[in-house]
Amino acid sequence: MTFITRLRRFPFWSWLWFMTGALYFILPLLATFEFSLSWDPQYPLKAYQRAFEDQRFWNSFMYSNMLALTTILISIILIVPTAYWIRLRLPQARRIVEFITLMPFVVPAIILVFGLIRIYSQPFTVPFTDIVILQPLTNFKMGTNILIVAGYMVLSMPYMYRSVDTGMRTVDVRTLTEAAQSLGANWFIIITRIILPNIRSALLSGALLTFAIVVGEVVLASFLGVSAFGPYLFLLGQHRAYEPAALSFVSFLLTWLVMGLIQLVTGSQEQAAGAH
Amino acid sequence: MTHLALKNISKHFGDFTAVRDFDLEVKKGEFVSFLGPSGCGKTTTLRIIAGFEIPSSGVITINDMDITNKAPNQRNVGMVFQSYALFPNMTVSQNIGFGLRVRKEKESEVKDRVAEMLSIIHMEEKANSYPYQLSGGQMQRVALARALAIRPEVLLLDEPLSALDAKIRVALRAEIRSIQQKLGITAIYVTHDQEEALSLSDRIVVMNKGEMEQVGTPFEIYNFPTTVFSANFVGTLNNASAEVVDPANGLISIGGVQFESAVDLKERKKGDKVRVAIRPERLGFASEQKKANVVDCTIENITFLGSIVRIQVTIGKAKFYMDTFNNPFLELPKIGDKDQVTCSKEAVLVLDE
Ligand SMILES: Nc1ncnc2c1ncn2[C@@H]1O[C@H](COP(=O)(O)OP(=O)(O)OP(=O)(O)O)[C@@H](O)[C@H]1O
Ligand SMILES: [Mg+2]
Repeated sequence: MTFITRLRRFPFWSWLWFMTGALYFILPLLATFEFSLSWDPQYPLKAYQRAFEDQRFWNSFMYSNMLALTTILISIILIVPTAYWIRLRLPQARRIVEFITLMPFVVPAIILVFGLIRIYSQPFTVPFTDIVILQPLTNFKMGTNILIVAGYMVLSMPYMYRSVDTGMRTVDVRTLTEAAQSLGANWFIIITRIILPNIRSALLSGALLTFAIVVGEVVLASFLGVSAFGPYLFLLGQHRAYEPAALSFVSFLLTWLVMGLIQLVTGSQEQAAGAH
Repeated sequence: MTHLALKNISKHFGDFTAVRDFDLEVKKGEFVSFLGPSGCGKTTTLRIIAGFEIPSSGVITINDMDITNKAPNQRNVGMVFQSYALFPNMTVSQNIGFGLRVRKEKESEVKDRVAEMLSIIHMEEKANSYPYQLSGGQMQRVALARALAIRPEVLLLDEPLSALDAKIRVALRAEIRSIQQKLGITAIYVTHDQEEALSLSDRIVVMNKGEMEQVGTPFEIYNFPTTVFSANFVGTLNNASAEVVDPANGLISIGGVQFESAVDLKERKKGDKVRVAIRPERLGFASEQKKANVVDCTIENITFLGSIVRIQVTIGKAKFYMDTFNNPFLELPKIGDKDQVTCSKEAVLVLDE
């Protein structure tokens, strides 16, 4: 093989674009990492130690994790049957539902949170009387938790719905459902043993995106006044120099770790769904 | 004894009628095909039997039990789909055993039955493979085994072979038929491929625009079509408009050329417009065989089709195809030659215009 043909085989432009893209993403990350180590040259991990020592970090981080898990769970319970039913029986409703799921991109979170506060800071009364059934949701902790989870469900809906819907398209849930029905399966068996296992990877990616959104979210959390991880990181960033850099770098690593795990778990699944 | 009966089934989607007055009785162990062009309502009828569609009117019975409004999972009807529809998250064995496990049968019985089905479809060595590791033909065999494992009353197959290539299609078709006969199972087979229907079925239902055109054995459907549609749809057919000349003696005229038919024309009057149909293989050169009808023709075109040679001739003004078996000693005429062709009285079918 001559030098020229070898040069031709080498996909120069593809590599150029790939490297440019990679640098664009990796350089800031490297800079952050480098910066986080530069607090005390004697003891490079000082920023990390300080960050993890702070009890408020652990409290807000665990709280946000709880919010994320709750949001994911309720989203799945609501969205999987909805998307399934639309694929099965109401294909003509697909466009409307897709439009609705895109609303969070159109309406900013700040508007959502003001709407929520405006409506739910008033007590629930029996219509046309002043008899109070329930105190305003914004006035007690559980109520605020409910509000914020509901808000997060709205914010993550585009990602969750799309993942689930795409997952269902790749396995042709309609015919699988009919096959299972003709074999005698009821709805519970169909959902738990046919549908859910076959959209596992879609659920995982939807869940991961939801997790990322909830854990980093600032607007809803700070306006509803909860001590979540997003506002904590924001505050930290305003008052400290090195710890925020350390925490961002750690969150990146965490995200990659989770993504790697998902790839590992769903690898064979993707193959199964992709083979047609 | 009637096993499955469809009584006056109709199905409307809004204003559109997909199936109209479908009436059929199927005996135990019989193999019936629904044959017709795309959109004629074959799948809809099959889905009504499976319970995925509820008929707008009419009744379905299995063993004289009305199942019209039963849910699909209560019917014990096996279904094989064009797209295989194997569960991607389960192995071949798990797919085959699914219906039995849903029925909460004993695990030992499930194992035995799965093993039996695997041996019937000759796929023992693929028991633990996943569907994506199988070829199309193998997937469809597994789908067949899965549908049969529950010992269904009726097996429904919706164009199960149309996603496969030609060689496998023919092999699997024979396999389906032999398994069906071995198990003595009642089967309904949907196809738009006439060769498939003719080679597999005990009886064929020819469908057109949601209606049954003709029901009969493959032999009857091919040799004695009762409507122009079923004559045209099954096999190649010459047909030309004609006029009744002498009803008592079965004489008709195609553009001035007289033919004698064995069909009873007593119901028709002289001068009635009819349609005459003759299969290409029933025509032959007059020099080779002396038959009742001997008419003049002109050779128009000659097409070589492998085992047969198709010759196009003009009789009167109508164009006809004539098929002869190919052999190395065949003396083919030349295009433009004048010749004489002949066919028996029985070959001349007379249908409504
Ligand atoms: N759910 C439905 N809603 C409206 N129309 C329908 C529905 N299902 C079927 N049809 C119509 O009914 C007609 C018959 O459809 P069907 O699927 O039974 O045809 P088919 O004979 O199986 O055709 P093919 O050979 O293409 O599969 C078609 O015109 C189709 O558009
Ligand atoms: Mg069809």
